[in-house]
Amino acid sequence: MLQEDSPAVIQRRLPLLAAFIILFVLVLFIRLWYLQAIRGAYYYEQAENNRIRPVKIRPPRGIIYDRNGRPLVENVLTFDISLVPEDTPDLDATIRRLSSITHVNQNSILQTLEDASSIRTKYEPVKIKEEAPWNEVTIVESHQDDLPGVIIEPEHRRHYPYGGMASHQLGYIGKVSQLQRKQEQTDIGLLTGQGGLEKIYDNLLRGTAGRRMIQVNASGRKVKDLGIEEPKLGKDIYLTIDLDVQRAAEESLGSRPGAVVAMDPNSGEILAMVSHPNYDPNLFPRGIAPKEWTRLTNDPSHPLYNRAIQSVYPPGSTFKILVALAGLESGVINPEEKVTCKGLIKSGKHTFRCWKKHGPIAFHDALVESCDVYFYTMGERIGFDRIAQYAAQLGLGSLTGIQLPDEKPGLIPTPDWKKKRTGESWYVGDSYINSIGQGFVLVSPIQAVRMMSVVANGGHLYPPVLLKQSRDRETGVVKPFPLERGKVVHLKPETLEELRHALAGVVIEPNGTGHAARTPIATVAGKSGTAQVIAQKIPGKKLTEKTQDHAWFVAYAPVENPKIAVAVLVEHGGHGGGAAAPVARRIIEEYLKNAEPKMVY
Amino acid sequence: MVGLVLVIALFGLAAVYSATYTSRGPSPLYYKQLIWVCIGIFVLFLALLPDYHTVGRYAYILYALSLVLLVLVMVFGRTGMGAQRWLAIGSFAFQPSELAKLSITLVLARYFADDPKRDGYGIKDLVIPGVMVLVPLLLVLKQPDLGTALMLILTSSLIIILAGIHLRSAIIVLITGLTIASLVFFVPPVRNKIWGSFKPYQQNRIRAFIDPSSDRLGSGYHANQSKIAVGSGQITGKGFRNGTQSQMAFLPERHTDFIFAVIAEETGLLGGGTLILLYLVLLLAGIDTAKNAKDRLGVLMAGGIVSMISLYVFINVGMAVGIVPVVGVPLPLVSYGGTSIITTFLALGLLLNIQARRFMLFY
Repeated sequence: MLQEDSPAVIQRRLPLLAAFIILFVLVLFIRLWYLQAIRGAYYYEQAENNRIRPVKIRPPRGIIYDRNGRPLVENVLTFDISLVPEDTPDLDATIRRLSSITHVNQNSILQTLEDASSIRTKYEPVKIKEEAPWNEVTIVESHQDDLPGVIIEPEHRRHYPYGGMASHQLGYIGKVSQLQRKQEQTDIGLLTGQGGLEKIYDNLLRGTAGRRMIQVNASGRKVKDLGIEEPKLGKDIYLTIDLDVQRAAEESLGSRPGAVVAMDPNSGEILAMVSHPNYDPNLFPRGIAPKEWTRLTNDPSHPLYNRAIQSVYPPGSTFKILVALAGLESGVINPEEKVTCKGLIKSGKHTFRCWKKHGPIAFHDALVESCDVYFYTMGERIGFDRIAQYAAQLGLGSLTGIQLPDEKPGLIPTPDWKKKRTGESWYVGDSYINSIGQGFVLVSPIQAVRMMSVVANGGHLYPPVLLKQSRDRETGVVKPFPLERGKVVHLKPETLEELRHALAGVVIEPNGTGHAARTPIATVAGKSGTAQVIAQKIPGKKLTEKTQDHAWFVAYAPVENPKIAVAVLVEHGGHGGGAAAPVARRIIEEYLKNAEPKMVY
Repeated sequence: MVGLVLVIALFGLAAVYSATYTSRGPSPLYYKQLIWVCIGIFVLFLALLPDYHTVGRYAYILYALSLVLLVLVMVFGRTGMGAQRWLAIGSFAFQPSELAKLSITLVLARYFADDPKRDGYGIKDLVIPGVMVLVPLLLVLKQPDLGTALMLILTSSLIIILAGIHLRSAIIVLITGLTIASLVFFVPPVRNKIWGSFKPYQQNRIRAFIDPSSDRLGSGYHANQSKIAVGSGQITGKGFRNGTQSQMAFLPERHTDFIFAVIAEETGLLGGGTLILLYLVLLLAGIDTAKNAKDRLGVLMAGGIVSMISLYVFINVGMAVGIVPVVGVPLPLVSYGGTSIITTFLALGLLLNIQARRFMLFY
């Protein structure tokens, strides 16, 4: 009487399922028995001898070259003496022997092992002595039997052959922090870029670690290679930096604190970038000593700071270039109009001085001779709202977007800004002092060179570029970094003509403030700037080093066909024409001297 | 039967403890697993409360919910191991494909229970259940999670056979399946298209199963290391937490997919064999429940759950001992993983439910 809902029909196949389960369990059981009971001894042997160990293969980092293929950063093959505690039956004895060979004291070896114990995986070697000298390496190699667990690890160590040169853009590499290791899942001992381009392009330079499976004997030494997962080599990168120009810039700035940036005005490529004082990146790859690090970070002269992009200064008279451009372009400045300079100008009870009594003076001479009264007057007429607009178009007071960490934007003030910031209104005096690049105005050297490039190329604001191309070391394929088109700044030909003529006059005319930039090999257009560090000089008191003015010089050359733009800033260097202009000349000479043959390349 | 379940779960906890043990003590994974097992036991008793017919009534809703979750995982899912499998809820990751396997089992049981055919089912009767399996199957394949997809196919096939498919229909389905499979494998354009849609690690696994020497560092390596681990345990094992293979990290995913290898290495044939026998007793008890169930729904639900669990055990253990290709499926009650633990406990709870209610009358 089977009903529709009766389970009987449906239960017919349950024995089949039971049989299936029993059969399969039987198969598994037999297989288990075969593996463990019959072949057990064989597999046990395998597991014992099968001290297969994965070994990380770290590819050498990519090389960093200058624009002409000369290495700025290299890798040097070194040997480290390491210890694998798991392979060491008598750890104390091994440490004792190791200590006598390497002269690393026993306690510090124990400390190193202790420090590593929480972060390493089993069988990961612990470095006892990095960059061991040859004699120690050979002793370890020849006494293998007495030193179970001690191995030699070849490593590619980062080397900066020019020491501190260009250290701020190259950056440095160092051990990854605990946090980084967690986030990026890198292994211990891996060195990654921690500053500058080494950091920004770390992914490109670093490559990907490979793995080698090795069979090792009881004391942890390799018996045989079982297989390899090739590492992916890091890519080489070519900078836009020209080694010769960089070196010339470093030398001519010398020991004075300051910054230099040289740029190709037609592309935005950085040809040289210097920030002094600098630091030696070679201190870092070995793991910088805490004392050294404290010394660097606490140094009042801030050697780790990249002054070319991270420091902002009052631009002084170099700011007159912008005021001139804004005035000519907006039609406020009529080049024919003369302003009478009596050596000072008054606004209320304040007096604003010029550095000289110029008498009646028109645009050209006012810029050539850097007359403050002329620019006080014109700056006031143009107004800072308008000046700020032109400044923005030329990239002043904003980030240039250069591919380096921690750039600072600087500042171009406007009446609104002042109201918000200080609660006070904008006075005529504010227009005066800011028009000559004092007061609130702050720009970085890289912004200054970019402004000069726009004047030189006639209206293209290029983002500064440091990278020319990358090269895949496995395939040799070279991939250029795309150049950005930049923003177009619309400037009237008459404005450019007038401005360029005056800037050339600064260098070439007898009354110009920039003779020191004059060179026989090319015509130079430039502008000096002397930025006061303190607002009012105390008469009779000699300026100490800390209160000396900052010296600026911005330039481009050749005037007819600009190939290089330069900004030089010497902190507390005194007069711009005297302290900074010769540095600019030296750089221009170095670059133009070589420019012709390089065109062939 | 409850005791049996608990013994297996304890076995699993011990194995996870050993497999994840770090130099600084038990791993947080172990404590997490402990919590999962406790929740699982709670869920098991919870599953006893309602009548299983009520559960059967909600089978379609549960099924729909799984589909929604599978779609959600495709959109918002967390990626791991090259596939999008997890939904993050707070700090917990939930794997909808694990729930899907149970809900498909239940929905098929419900479907065949509602549609009794005294002489068995023909091809036409399989269209609707076929679609019901195919939709989640495609979603799981898309993740892509080949292991779970394979398990879905096998589990559903077993249930359909159990439900009473015609021998003739079964042969036709089998031949069609094989034809499609061979088309896929032997027509190059189709094959390349499908092959290309696999993740590289999946390609490697398949390749390594066909030719173990082709990839000594990859999947072939895993399978080989697992075999060495199991074999080297010999009769009595190397002792708890003393397995060199498992402790030295030669075994990948040793607390999930290869947990059996850890058990076999550390407790030997005695331990591994005992565990397999425990599963056998549990599964046979499940079949007994199905045999004594008083209606079609009970039989099919119990039979389906037994089929599902037995397949997971066979594939997982088979993989560890090297007779089944490496596909990532968990060992029920033992492998690390919250969703797997809880769905397994839930399934076993339903089984107990059916067993408990066989004498009750409710006409």
